[in-house]
Amino acid sequence: MNAGVIRAMYGKEMLEIFRDRRTLISMVLVPLLVMPLILLAMGKYMASARRQSEAEASKIGFREGALAPDLAARLKGSGLELAVVGDLRKAVEDKTAAATIEATTSPSGQRQIRIYTDRTRQASQLAGEKLRGLLTDFKDETVKASLRDSGLSEKLLTPFVIERVNVAAQRKMAGFLWGSVLGYVVLLLMFSGGMYPAIDMTAGEKERRTLEALLASPAGRGEIVVAKILAVLTAILVTAALTVISMAYAMKSGGFGSSSKEFQEMLGTIPLDAPTLGLLLATLLPLSIMAASLMIAIALFARSFKEGQSYLTPLMMLVVFPAVLGVLPGMELTPAMALIPIFNASQLMRGILQGEFSHTVLAVTIGANLVYALAAFIFATRLFRNESVLFRS
Amino acid sequence: MIEVCRLSKVFTDKKRGMVRAVDEVSFEVRPGEIFGLLGPNGAGKTTTLRILATLLAPTSGTARVGGADIIREPEAVRRQIGFLSGDMGLYGRLTPRELLAFFGRLHRRDGAALADRIGQLVALLDMAEFADTRIDKLSTGMRQKTAIARTLVHDPGILILDEPTAGLDVPTARVIEEFIVRAKQSGKSILYSTHVMEEAEYLCDRIAVIHHGRIGRPGTIEELRAQTGKTRLREVFLCLLGADKSREPAR
Repeated sequence: MNAGVIRAMYGKEMLEIFRDRRTLISMVLVPLLVMPLILLAMGKYMASARRQSEAEASKIGFREGALAPDLAARLKGSGLELAVVGDLRKAVEDKTAAATIEATTSPSGQRQIRIYTDRTRQASQLAGEKLRGLLTDFKDETVKASLRDSGLSEKLLTPFVIERVNVAAQRKMAGFLWGSVLGYVVLLLMFSGGMYPAIDMTAGEKERRTLEALLASPAGRGEIVVAKILAVLTAILVTAALTVISMAYAMKSGGFGSSSKEFQEMLGTIPLDAPTLGLLLATLLPLSIMAASLMIAIALFARSFKEGQSYLTPLMMLVVFPAVLGVLPGMELTPAMALIPIFNASQLMRGILQGEFSHTVLAVTIGANLVYALAAFIFATRLFRNESVLFRS
Repeated sequence: MIEVCRLSKVFTDKKRGMVRAVDEVSFEVRPGEIFGLLGPNGAGKTTTLRILATLLAPTSGTARVGGADIIREPEAVRRQIGFLSGDMGLYGRLTPRELLAFFGRLHRRDGAALADRIGQLVALLDMAEFADTRIDKLSTGMRQKTAIARTLVHDPGILILDEPTAGLDVPTARVIEEFIVRAKQSGKSILYSTHVMEEAEYLCDRIAVIHHGRIGRPGTIEELRAQTGKTRLREVFLCLLGADKSREPAR
């Protein structure tokens, strides 16, 4: 291996990456612009949808004469719009009312109130919840009044009070949030950021018929493959860094409806110091080497850019699954689970950000991913010495 | 100097089974000589040249290129050869100057010596006008000059040229021919494959016909004419192919 030759090869690959629109889009434009824009737009859309649902949720339907005056007064007093409808079910179904309400008295004299909602509609659900809240208060007041009338204490109604306290520290919450972003979005974009360069410098070289001249040069096969893997690794790390930066910016500017002060304070609790960043990098690096080697190896089988794309797309699907698994709240990383690539990194990064992870899990994760990276690297190097793969026609 | 000794290459093809692409081929190319490998498409020309450039490994036999064995010292072989095919093998997103610097560095040349060599080639091939324009924006003629410069950047003693004029128009092919003649005059050993008889006649000192992986006895064009008793080039070529066929056992 000659360092000068590897440097020359690497320089050429980087020059090609930066002069190709396709690779630039997946590596720079998507993480820097498209992702934050999607998040911002989603946040805006969700906020406006919620506002609309809330407005809609105040329309309550009832049947003429079927609502006791005390109840009707109560509902009206809390800002709900009451409207007379013909059929209680149909009114909800055809959206003339968000929910409908019906009050009856059973033969035994028990007063019954029935609420009709459509559980698949947000506005209808909201209306249902509002009605339930109002009716519960109304019920309590009625009970209190009866207690007072019979000379008993109101306290009989509330023998105890329930209070829930969230013991998760702010850092843990912030780590959870960021861990999900890193573990899913960053991992996914890393693979997609490296994908085009990997195809371009293998199947692309075959398709453009430049591979033959390169292989006839004194550059060794080992030097060529090392330089190509390094170039893809660079693309992957650039994509990861740009994604983290743009996501941080999107969160700071209220991307997930996150503009509240508490939220911003919570985000600030993660220490972005050298040990944390170092641990994150140590987690990402073996995984990135594995991704780069694997993508180079798989794409080398392809004869054309298109073929390369259809080989690597299933790999992306394989990445999505463990990454999604990794950000699910119920998952815990045990040493055995730390052997599962991608999932282990996804979980470990969250642990690092939350400031809670075991050193065993850290060692197993990094060790396992290093072994996978080495295996993928050897696989890629072997393939580069295989003439039937290089000259497949 | 190229010495080829009983070189064979067998491929296993899914449809056709075992294919002998190159079958016991021997010949030699001397310094200052252009040796033509003449044969129809699929005769085994490209496979032979790829083996000599160490892109493919032979099934049996071997060859020495510039004194280095293609099996045991492939990198020493690649250091001495200039390889050019009809595909040219140019990186479209690089400029000619960047491309030459890249290949120069792969040949372990660097610094002022490399810059001088590039300057020399740019002047020699009249490339100054487009040396800093991306290759994918260049005309075919400009690309061909760039490909020649790439082949020569390390001043190789041996040239392996695989149908370098394939798909080129007459003026552009002419540029290639001139470059080959000049290279010959400077004492390089040149192996040239083509399926065009006229091209072989004009350029090559000696010609060998290759067909179904087998090579005929090399000779000058006059010797081949005398051997076949034909005068028209096309007839000579067809006759040699036929002669080869009659020697060939039934497949």
